[in-house]
Amino acid sequence: MKEHTVADSAISMVHVSKRYGDNLAVDDFTAAMAPGDFVVLLGPSGCGKSTVLKMIAGLEDVTEGEVYIAGELANYILPKNRDVAMVFQNYALYPHMAVSRNLAFPLKMRGVERARIRTRVEEVASLLELSSLLERFPDELSGGERQRVALGRAIIRDPVAFLMDEPLSNLDALLRFQMRDELLKLHKRVGKTTIYVTHDQIEAMAMADSVIVLKDGRVQQVGSPQDVYDRPANTFVATFIGSPPMNLLHGRTEVGGDGLIFTWKDHRIPLDNEGAAVATESILGVRAEEAELTQDSGDGVLRGIVGLVEPVGADKFVRVEIDEDVYWYVRVPSATQVREGEAIGVRIPADRHHLYDREGTLYRREEVSDRTTPGGG
Amino acid sequence: MTTQRLSFRKGRLASGTTAYVILIVASITMVVPFFYIVSTSIKKTTQLFAYPPDWIPRIPFWGNYSTLLGSESLFLRWTLNTMIVAGVVTILKVIIDSMAGYAFAKIDFPGRRVLFILILAVVMVPTSAVIIPLFLLVRGMGLLDTYWALILPPLANPVGVFLMRNYIQSLPRDLENSARLDGCSEFSVYFRIILPLVKPGLVVLGILTFLAQYTAFLWPLLAVQDETLQVLTTGVAEMKASIFTIDWGLVSAASVLSMVPITIMFFMFQRYFSGGSIAGALKQ
Repeated sequence: MKEHTVADSAISMVHVSKRYGDNLAVDDFTAAMAPGDFVVLLGPSGCGKSTVLKMIAGLEDVTEGEVYIAGELANYILPKNRDVAMVFQNYALYPHMAVSRNLAFPLKMRGVERARIRTRVEEVASLLELSSLLERFPDELSGGERQRVALGRAIIRDPVAFLMDEPLSNLDALLRFQMRDELLKLHKRVGKTTIYVTHDQIEAMAMADSVIVLKDGRVQQVGSPQDVYDRPANTFVATFIGSPPMNLLHGRTEVGGDGLIFTWKDHRIPLDNEGAAVATESILGVRAEEAELTQDSGDGVLRGIVGLVEPVGADKFVRVEIDEDVYWYVRVPSATQVREGEAIGVRIPADRHHLYDREGTLYRREEVSDRTTPGGG
Repeated sequence: MTTQRLSFRKGRLASGTTAYVILIVASITMVVPFFYIVSTSIKKTTQLFAYPPDWIPRIPFWGNYSTLLGSESLFLRWTLNTMIVAGVVTILKVIIDSMAGYAFAKIDFPGRRVLFILILAVVMVPTSAVIIPLFLLVRGMGLLDTYWALILPPLANPVGVFLMRNYIQSLPRDLENSARLDGCSEFSVYFRIILPLVKPGLVVLGILTFLAQYTAFLWPLLAVQDETLQVLTTGVAEMKASIFTIDWGLVSAASVLSMVPITIMFFMFQRYFSGGSIAGALKQ
């Protein structure tokens, strides 16, 4: 994602904070969402992601900072005049109106003439395959149908941006998968900025042009899904994104031989890492697919016992118990022969790893994106 | 069939019978006073004190009813007064209380909590405790012996605000938020979204208010002296007070007739008591 200024962003938020009494729900949130981007706000529940969305919509006041919509300061604009549409987690369809009236409602409230409303309702209904359901009431629809009506009500008035608050979380797994596709297709067709809130990292990875990872109201990292996965800015992002979470090991960095050595107990792991501080406590992170199983021991290898083998189709995850409370996952092809209880080594490649300081922030290296934001980990 | 099952059946039969006996006795206890009034209303004065009592007169006497509905009688006027007062109070209360309930449930304004606690406190004060100051107030306003004296004071009863506030609070916040984004002003959120969804609550409030006004006695007794402004309760009571020998037949006929409108209303609105209005708004 390129840097965008307030003027050329669809939505931008500048040093926005939200306080409920003593509780700081959102802390100094700054982000610019480019026109047409699909931006995902990702974080565990209670991280403030829905609050950010509501502040954009104007449903929550901003305690500090500025919200801009289409380059215009929106802090004091009423929700109805903000020109953003929202899809709620529970759909929030008006139960006393049939589908057609639900769809027509935003236009009717804006005084659009009746004939125009009728054509728009028909267009949107055919786009979302709702044409046969127009006379039904919300309680006569399935979850997926309600979801589509909620989407239709959002797109019917052609807003600057769509705000979606965990719109798929109430659907079952298969439907969620289908709707995810539908949403992306729709996004491509409609081409509007979409800000999508979820706690589901798989949704975020699959859908986003850009991911904003939040925790405790603070931005942890901003970047493309691949960027966030490949180069997590801190140990929170490293463990929150990816399944299984990134393997972590708390040890020390030392100078040794011709480079850096990470030490943990009596293990020595040589690393190619130029940004790291030496002679200090550090955290080593390795993704399950970056580590390798080996029968060797020695430098660069952690020895342990196979605790669990989880087949996941083409691959399997091997859980290696290295110490009490320290276990690592290694991803291997499903053909690999591993028995539970077997003694085994985990090789850590010198060039494929992530090294964090004692607070959990990534040591900066040349190739690390300069868009990472330091934060608590 | 085994003996065990047989005795089980007997047990059920026995407990069923007991229940029915209790229910029948209770029903009789409830119905007898009504029956007695109806029976009294179709007797001549001379038949009233016959012993043993003549429960069902062989020849019903309709004279009491024709007297009540005749041109000499104010009974129809009282009925009209009651309908006007109860009707106007009900309509105004439903409007005011639903608006106030919406404000308390959904709008965050300074002093909301304090104000609501005050309202709750007022609920706990019995009407009889405030009736003298109320009388002085209404007299001071020069409203005694007018419809306003009957209509205005009941509007201040806060129970409806409390009821509507709880009803509206139970509606999901996303619904109003969605409406706000769809272009609704605060009033149209109330009018277009909230009001249709709390219709059962409005009907309950309406029925309770109407019933309370229909049967109100103490305040109307104080507020209006004029014969033509009496409502049914005070008018019928007046019939007992104004005549040397009370014509129980006539009073009974008046009681029977005054039960008719309220009974019809109940049957009309019964269906509103059932049914969840917000089903389908949210995924359950």
